[in-house]
Amino acid sequence: MTLPSLPVRLDGGELAIATEGLEKRYGPDILALAGLALQVPAGSVYVLAGPNGAGKSTAMKVLLDLVRADRGTAHVCGLRTTADPARVRAHIGYVPEVVETAYGWLTAGAFLAHHAAFYGAWDGGYARELCRRQAVPLHLKVKSLSKGALRRLALVTALAHHPPVLLLDEPTDGLDPLAREDFAALLVDHMTESPTTVLWSTHHVHEADPMADHVGVIAGGRLVLQAPRDLLTTRLRRYRAQVPAAWLGAPGLNGDVLVRESAGREIAWTVWGEEREVAERLQAAGAVVREAVPLSLEDATLALLRAGRAG
Amino acid sequence: MLIDLDLSDVRPLYQQIVDEVRRAVALGDLGPEEPLPSVRALAMRLRVNPNTVQQAYRELERAGVVYSRRGQGTFAARPDGTDQRALLLRDVAERALKDARRFGFTPHDLAGAVVRAAETEVYDDPSTGA
Repeated sequence: MTLPSLPVRLDGGELAIATEGLEKRYGPDILALAGLALQVPAGSVYVLAGPNGAGKSTAMKVLLDLVRADRGTAHVCGLRTTADPARVRAHIGYVPEVVETAYGWLTAGAFLAHHAAFYGAWDGGYARELCRRQAVPLHLKVKSLSKGALRRLALVTALAHHPPVLLLDEPTDGLDPLAREDFAALLVDHMTESPTTVLWSTHHVHEADPMADHVGVIAGGRLVLQAPRDLLTTRLRRYRAQVPAAWLGAPGLNGDVLVRESAGREIAWTVWGEEREVAERLQAAGAVVREAVPLSLEDATLALLRAGRAG
Repeated sequence: MLIDLDLSDVRPLYQQIVDEVRRAVALGDLGPEEPLPSVRALAMRLRVNPNTVQQAYRELERAGVVYSRRGQGTFAARPDGTDQRALLLRDVAERALKDARRFGFTPHDLAGAVVRAAETEVYDDPSTGA
């Protein structure tokens, strides 16, 4: 199956994060990034969805200059990441995949104070206020915090210098549903006060769905799709249709079909395209279209990844 | 006014917020000059992107359903003669029509079916004692 011509660029507006042709190889066998061209519009919540090992964490580490790419360029807020890494990092808040626990013996309050030393723009009053509003007990030792409270503390640590760009690397992995809700609440709380561009990587796409303005689906170190969230709703649909016996198929459609499922005379296609046009092409080929529904972000991601693997 | 969202709905989230506010105005749950929740409060409650709530409020303001007072928030507008209930009913009808077309029915089929379904519904309604 060939992959339909899916949108992979978000040129046009102001970009908070822009990479071109990023390549990173770990040893001879692992190509973590294979020409990644990430474009995160300023002010957007951009959900980077993909399986483990797709290159999400490596991409973030390149933005922070914790990892150097073999090839390609990366810019954050217009600054080249390799030119002045310290200045670039001052523009970024980062919640890593694994929250460091080396400071377990510190109280949460002391942990914040420790981080304050690294940032000129650190707003201690704001950090304490966020902790109070979002139930992070400052008097407790870091090691005795619940998993959820520890992640919220990590997020407060990332937000306290009011960075224009926030990088979240699988921030809710391993949290229970209530703790995930609390994490989202803290993020929304901050965003209403400080406009922030968020790059949020996750393989639990459904929980980022209500926050997403833009979506990038990544596999094998490159983007399968990069588009506004609403475009996915309007362009990617699952069509269920009844077809005559010994049906020959809809030849005009092949290039845009991501997934095809069939049971007897009922067939379902997940197709990228204008709904009316797709339905007309199906009907012209003799199929009777029963419904055309948009996919959840999670199902859309799965369909795109499946098609990417087959292509 | 209670605003609920459905992530599996075909409408984008901002559109769902727009529709919920219009519904509240049409039903009188949100009277003229009454305040809407702040962008912050609504985004927090729905756990959605504040941009989405802002987009919905902008759209409502453009449509004349609400207006904003600088520094004070967003308020329901005085009725401008537009029949909000009629607009809502039109939306309901358009959604049903779209659904009907998907299943290969004509508007005439749908109108007839609605009348027949309503007749049956009356017999099922416990308030009529039937």
